[in-house]
Amino acid sequence: MTQPIVSIQHISKHFGGTRALHEVSFDVLPGELHAICGENGAGKSTLMKILSGVITSYDGILLVDGAEVHFTGTKDAESEGISIIHQELNLVEQLSVAANIFLGRELSQVFFFRDDRSMEHQAALLLRSLDCDIPPNRLAGSLRVGDQQLIEIAKALSLNSRILVMDEPTSALTEAEVERLYRVIAKLRSQGTTILYISHKMDEVFHLSDRITVLRDGQFIATRNTKETTASEITKLMVGRDIESLDLGPRNPRGDLVLEVRNLSLAWPGHARGYRLKDISLELYRGEVLGIAGLMGAGRTELLECLFGASTLEPTGEILLDGELIRPRHPAQAKKAGLALVTEDRKRLGIFNTMNVGRNISMCSLEEAVFGPMLSHSQEQQLSYSMVSKLKIKTAGLTPPIGSLSGGNQQKCIVGRWLLTNPKVLLLDDPTRGVDVGAKAELYRVIRGLCSEGLGVIVTSSELPELLTLSDRIMVLSEGRKTAEFRIEEATQEKIMEAATKSWNS
Amino acid sequence: MSLLRRLWSSVEFKLIVAWLLVVLATMALDTNYAYWNNPADSAQLILRRTVLLGFFAIGSAIIIISGGIDLSSGSVIAMSATVFGSLMMILDPVGFKAGHVSTTAVILSIGGTLLVGGMVGTLHAWLITSVGLPPFVATLATLVGLRSFSRGLTSSITMGKSQIDFPDTGLRDVLKNVTYMSIVFVVFALLMWFLMSRTVTGRHLQAMGGNEQAAKLSGIRTDRLKWLAYVIGAVSASIVGIISFADDGSAKPDIMARGYELNAIAASVIGGCSLQGGVGTIPGTILGCLFLRTIIDAVQKIVGSGADVYEGMIVGIVVVVAVTFSQRGGGKLAGKKYFSNGIGWSVIPTLGLLAGLSYLLFFGKREWYAPYQAYMIGGIVVAALAARAFLESNSKASGQS
Repeated sequence: MTQPIVSIQHISKHFGGTRALHEVSFDVLPGELHAICGENGAGKSTLMKILSGVITSYDGILLVDGAEVHFTGTKDAESEGISIIHQELNLVEQLSVAANIFLGRELSQVFFFRDDRSMEHQAALLLRSLDCDIPPNRLAGSLRVGDQQLIEIAKALSLNSRILVMDEPTSALTEAEVERLYRVIAKLRSQGTTILYISHKMDEVFHLSDRITVLRDGQFIATRNTKETTASEITKLMVGRDIESLDLGPRNPRGDLVLEVRNLSLAWPGHARGYRLKDISLELYRGEVLGIAGLMGAGRTELLECLFGASTLEPTGEILLDGELIRPRHPAQAKKAGLALVTEDRKRLGIFNTMNVGRNISMCSLEEAVFGPMLSHSQEQQLSYSMVSKLKIKTAGLTPPIGSLSGGNQQKCIVGRWLLTNPKVLLLDDPTRGVDVGAKAELYRVIRGLCSEGLGVIVTSSELPELLTLSDRIMVLSEGRKTAEFRIEEATQEKIMEAATKSWNS
Repeated sequence: MSLLRRLWSSVEFKLIVAWLLVVLATMALDTNYAYWNNPADSAQLILRRTVLLGFFAIGSAIIIISGGIDLSSGSVIAMSATVFGSLMMILDPVGFKAGHVSTTAVILSIGGTLLVGGMVGTLHAWLITSVGLPPFVATLATLVGLRSFSRGLTSSITMGKSQIDFPDTGLRDVLKNVTYMSIVFVVFALLMWFLMSRTVTGRHLQAMGGNEQAAKLSGIRTDRLKWLAYVIGAVSASIVGIISFADDGSAKPDIMARGYELNAIAASVIGGCSLQGGVGTIPGTILGCLFLRTIIDAVQKIVGSGADVYEGMIVGIVVVVAVTFSQRGGGKLAGKKYFSNGIGWSVIPTLGLLAGLSYLLFFGKREWYAPYQAYMIGGIVVAALAARAFLESNSKASGQS
C-alpha cells in the first residue's frame, strides 16, 4: 500500500463548549482527488483550517508524508506544500494579479526595490500553465470571480503546493467557468497534485473524485471509493444522524391561511446565476410551523428578508398577508403589517450590545409605553417583564447588559421583542444557532406554544433534525429555487437532503 | 451600596471630582489668586465659555451617540454669524447703518439663521442617507465649503470687506448677556436631555448608534433619525453663531470659530460619549464642556498671558488621557503594557521632549526659570518612562513562565 501523503489521526477540536471535530481519522493518498462531504456544520471547514495552518490548537496528530507536523501558521503549511483556496477568496482587489500572486513574498532586486517586471513575467508563466490568459498587470478587483479563483490557484502553484484544498470552489461560477475549472483540475492532477475537494454538490463530487469521505457532526463517518458508491448512499451517510427524541406534545390544528407568497424572485446582479431567489411560492396557515431547509447559500435568509422588506433590491412577485397584498420596502412597514423577523446573525443584526436586557426587549414596542411625549419607564419595564416571565428568560432582572446572557436567553429576548408587537407571522432565521442543547429544546417549546396561540411561524434551520422536530411542513430550497415541499409525515432527512443538493444546471 | 457604586463609576461623578481637583489646583498655583480675589468674574468667564461650547457640543454629542460625526460645526458657526449679519442688513438697511436694528428684523433674522442651520443639517442628512457618503466625508465637505461660502457672502454683502461689524450695541448687550445666554442654554439642554433620555426617539437614536443594522431590522426609520440628529447638530451651531457674533462684536468668517468642531467632539468624548456610537449622555457632555473650559482657563491663569496658544495642546492631552482611562480596563495603569515593544521605546524621547518643551513654553518667562529646569524635567520623564519600559519588558518574561 502506498504511503498516504496526509494522514489525519484522532483529531478533535472544541470551540468553547461546542464540539467541532471529534476523533476524526482518515488518510489522503498521493495524487488522488479526495472529496469531503457533509452538512452545514459537519466540521469540514474546521478540519481544512487545521490542515492549512489557520487553526493551530487542536488535539490529535497530523502526518504529512508519514512525518508528524504541527503547523503554527499558514506559512508552515505552505512550506509543507499545502495551500487552501477559500470559498471567500482572499485577494487584495486594488492590487494587480501579479502583486496578488506574490503578496507577502515580493521579489526584489538590489536593495529594497520591488521587481515588478519579473513578478509579472513569472505570473504570466504560471497563468499560462493553467491555460488562461489573464494579463498579470490587471487589477484583481476588475476580474470575474472565476478568474479570481484561478489567481488563487496560480498563487498556490507559485508556492509549489503539492496538496491543494478547495472549499466549495464552484459555488459562484458560471457553467463555462466550471468547465474551465474542471480542466485546470485535470491538469493539476496530471502534474501529480493531490486535491482535497469540499462540496455538497453530488454531481460534481462524482464527476471529479476518486474517493469520498463523509463527516457528520464533527465525526468521521466513512470513506468510499467513488466508483463503488452512489449519490444516494453518500446523502444517507451525510444525514444519518440521530434525532433527539423530544416530545413537544401534539401538533396544533391548522387554522386559516395567513400568509401567501406567489412567484417571489430576487435578482442577483453580477452573479453567474443572475438570481438569489426564483419563483418561490408558499402558503402559511395560522398555528402552523413551516420549516425551510436548504444548505448554505440556498436563499433561506434572503427569502425571509424579502418578506420582511429588508432586502437591498426589491423582489418581484406577490406577498399576501391575510389576503391583502403587501409590498414592504422597509422593516417598519412589515412590522406594521404584522410581520416579525428574528435574524440569523444575532450579534450583528439582533442585539443592541450597549443596552440592557429590558431595553433590548422593549425596543420594537416603545410606542406602547408612552405617557404623552414621554417614555414611561414603568410601563416599559412592565412590557419587558411580561416577556421575561412568558418566555422564562433567565436573567437577574432587566438591568444586566444583554451580553451577559447566554446565547439562548439572548435569542429569547429578541423573540420577546417581536412578540410585543403582536405579529401575525413570526419569521425565525436559524433561531438556535449558537444555542446549547438544553436551551434549544426550550426554544422549541416556546415556538410551539406561540403557534397554539394562533401565530403562523416560518423557521429556517441548518439542522435537519431540528426542522423535523419543529415543523408541520418543510419546504426545501436549493440554489435559490424551491425544489420540494413535504408534509411532516412524509419528510425524511434523506429526502430533504436529496432535494437540497439538487442543482439546476444538471 | 450598589447605588453608591454606580454613582462612583459614572462618568459624570468622575468628571465632577476631576473638575474640583482642577479648581483647587488653580486656587493653589495661580500666583495672581484670581479665583480668590475675583470669584464672580472668573466664574462668569468660565460659564460664558462653557455655555458657548455647550450648545454645539450637545448637538455634536447627539450625532456621536447616534453613530455619526459632525466636523462642520465650526464652519456652521461662522456661516450663521455672517448669515445673521447679512439678514439684518438686508431686512433693515437703514437701521443697520444707524446702529439700531428694528426688533422685527432681528427676530426674522434669528429665525432665518436657525432655518439656514436646519437646511445645512438637512443637506448633511441627505448626503449621508441618500447619496451614501460616510458622515466624515459629508461633514468634511461642508467644513471647508461653508467657510468659503461665508467669506464670499461677507465680501459681497459688505462690498468687498472681509468682516461684518455688529450693528447695534443695545442688541449686542442683550445677546452677549451671560444670564440670558445661560437661560437659553438651560432650556436647550433640558429639552435635549429630555429628548435623549425620556422619549422613544431618543432611545431609537441610541439604538441606531449602537447597532444601525439591528435598529433598521427592528423597524426603526434610521434615515429620519439621522436627519433629526444632523439638524439638531447644525441648528445648535447656528445658535452659537448668533451669540458669538454679538460676543465678538464682528463676524470674521475666515478665522471665526476655526477648529471649534474638534472642541465639541473632545467635550463629548470627555463627557463619556463613545465614538463608536450608542453610548453617552447630555449631562455628561455638559460636564465635559465645563471640565474642558475650566482646565483651559486654569492653564491660562497659571501660565499667564497669551496662553490661548496652548488651548489646542491642552485639548489634545485631555482627550488622550480621558479616553485612555475610560477604555475598558484601561484605568489599570499597572497591568497594561505601554512601552514594551519597539514603538513604545521609540516614543519615549518624543514624550521627554514634549515634557521639557512644555515646561519651557509655560514657564520660560518667569523670573525663577532657568534652562537647566527644562532639561531636568525632560530627563526625568525619559528616565521614568525608560524604567517603566524596562519593567514591562521584564514582566513579560516572568509572566509567561
